[in-house]
Amino acid sequence: MSEPLILEARDLHKSYRMGAGRLPVLRGVSLQLRPGEVVALMGASGSGKSTLLHLLGLLDRPDQGRVLLDGADVTELGQSAAARLRAGAIGFVFQQFHLLADLNALQNVLMPRRIACGWSWWRRAGRERERARAILEAVGLAGRLRHRPAQLSGGEQQRVAIARALVSAPALLLADEPTGNLDSATGADILALLLRLARQRQAALLLATHDAHVAAHSDRVLQLVDGTIVGAAPGP
Amino acid sequence: MSLLHLAWTYFRRRALLTLSALGIALGVALVFTTLAVVNGFLSELERTLREFSGDVVVRPLEIGPLAAGRAEYMRALEAVDGLESATPRLNWFGLVGRRGARALSDPRSADLNGLLLVGVEPERERAAALHAELLAQPGSLILGDELAQRLGVAAGDALEVLSYRGSGRDLAPVRATFQVAGSFRTGQYEQDLDRAIVRREDLERFLGGRVPFTEIVLRGARDIAPEQLAARARMALAEAGIRGADVRTWRAQGGNLLAAVENQRGTLSVVFFAIVAVAAFQLLATLTLTVTEKRHDIGVLGALGAGPARVAGFFMVLCLVIGAAGTALGLALGLWLCRNLHVVELWIGGGERIFTPELYQFPEIPIAVDPGSVSVLVGATLAAALLFSCIPAWLAARLPIVRALHHA
Repeated sequence: MSEPLILEARDLHKSYRMGAGRLPVLRGVSLQLRPGEVVALMGASGSGKSTLLHLLGLLDRPDQGRVLLDGADVTELGQSAAARLRAGAIGFVFQQFHLLADLNALQNVLMPRRIACGWSWWRRAGRERERARAILEAVGLAGRLRHRPAQLSGGEQQRVAIARALVSAPALLLADEPTGNLDSATGADILALLLRLARQRQAALLLATHDAHVAAHSDRVLQLVDGTIVGAAPGP
Repeated sequence: MSLLHLAWTYFRRRALLTLSALGIALGVALVFTTLAVVNGFLSELERTLREFSGDVVVRPLEIGPLAAGRAEYMRALEAVDGLESATPRLNWFGLVGRRGARALSDPRSADLNGLLLVGVEPERERAAALHAELLAQPGSLILGDELAQRLGVAAGDALEVLSYRGSGRDLAPVRATFQVAGSFRTGQYEQDLDRAIVRREDLERFLGGRVPFTEIVLRGARDIAPEQLAARARMALAEAGIRGADVRTWRAQGGNLLAAVENQRGTLSVVFFAIVAVAAFQLLATLTLTVTEKRHDIGVLGALGAGPARVAGFFMVLCLVIGAAGTALGLALGLWLCRNLHVVELWIGGGERIFTPELYQFPEIPIAVDPGSVSVLVGATLAAALLFSCIPAWLAARLPIVRALHHA
């Protein structure tokens, strides 16, 4: 019996309105991801990597095709149900970090927990704070808890973003060019950190990148060209 | 509510949101102060009216030789259930001069003052502020404090009073000299300016013994409403076969003045609530701007798992935070204004009093903070803030996450 899939995409299509017509971005993408697996999604800029990650992360809906998360079809989920899934099962790491500028590192990491806990937050705040502190220590920011994003370097901001993505212990991590805004040395550190933590926590990681060096650290590599996956290869 | 922290952070770090709260605070402070002043005016008016005129006043419509009638009235009224006291009085018009007796010798003088001579029975009188106990000696008189000052007389001075007796063709002027025994202060400017208290029997004698009383002042037990006492008094008079008596509560006596103040309170409340509404509109504009400015944050919240309802809820909480901060500040400012109204009054008037007793009835601006009115004010302000947050909350909730994330 084959291992269950954490994520499956079947024949995804997505296009955007462009003037009078529509610009197709994804043209029938299918992929599968198993628990704990690290998959690199490679492709040039504009190939549709980010769009695919948005669809898989339920931030957007495909025009056609299905998305299955842990075996359940989540394509047609309502916005609130999709939001609940994002809060509990999916972690995002973006190229632009996307931290909340008004909050410090600790509060940024706590934000997904605040959202996921809802009213029970007030009962669980103490435990959740400990959890967030621990994960910030794990990404090497124990001394930067009270710093706001503007007071952190790019690498440190991405570490906060990784801690935020992992704080809810999601089964699926979606990383969109996580090293794209960093110098090569910092990028390598961040990539190593992301891979180590994802593997430690048995989270499946789909890593969109156009950097072959990044892809070299993954279990599998998917090539996205002009909106379709043209090749899949095992990692090195 | 778990996003309250973020709302509070936005509020602290965005000057525009703080200014919105200040706008609300100003509106709340104005409404709070206005209501406190009008409520104070009304309660002070009630206190002074009731102090002087009791809860209910019974007036025979016909006046004249009513010696037998007085006993009948008293017998009927003293049987009223819940009555604490029934005090007969004889009120009559009089005239005095600024320099006491001498002014009346020179009718060209413009210093004459009209006054209401209130004849009381010292041993029965219950209006403590009138100091009827000073009327121990026959021929003594107590003046309202303002009138005493205006006339320039004090205890021990003689005061000549001019009046008339009889009616129709029998009308005849009379004059008598009273000995000033002291002064009283009810706190209401008009009452303290135009009244003098004398012994009822002195006044009856002064008027030739033809009018023994003109009214009976009733005071009820604490748990009896004046309206209830008036109804019982009417019934008791009817049962005793006494017709043609005017029975009025203190509220009906206050009549037009009370109605006017109540009316002003309503009008002012509407006007100032409109100010709060304007502040709430400004909050609407500010929050709509905030939704545009914080589009990126809304996208991040969405990506982290906040659905449209949570995003909308967040903006409503933000609005409540601003409304609550504005209301709290407004209440504090209102309280400060109430406590320092005399300072503010002098500051606005450039060192001159604006609310003079002649215009405002009372020597000081009375303040009464009514918890009920304050609750309504707080509730209405927060409700307005919540209501006006609906549009920005809706705008935020319908933002597509991916597009919002690109708005960095």
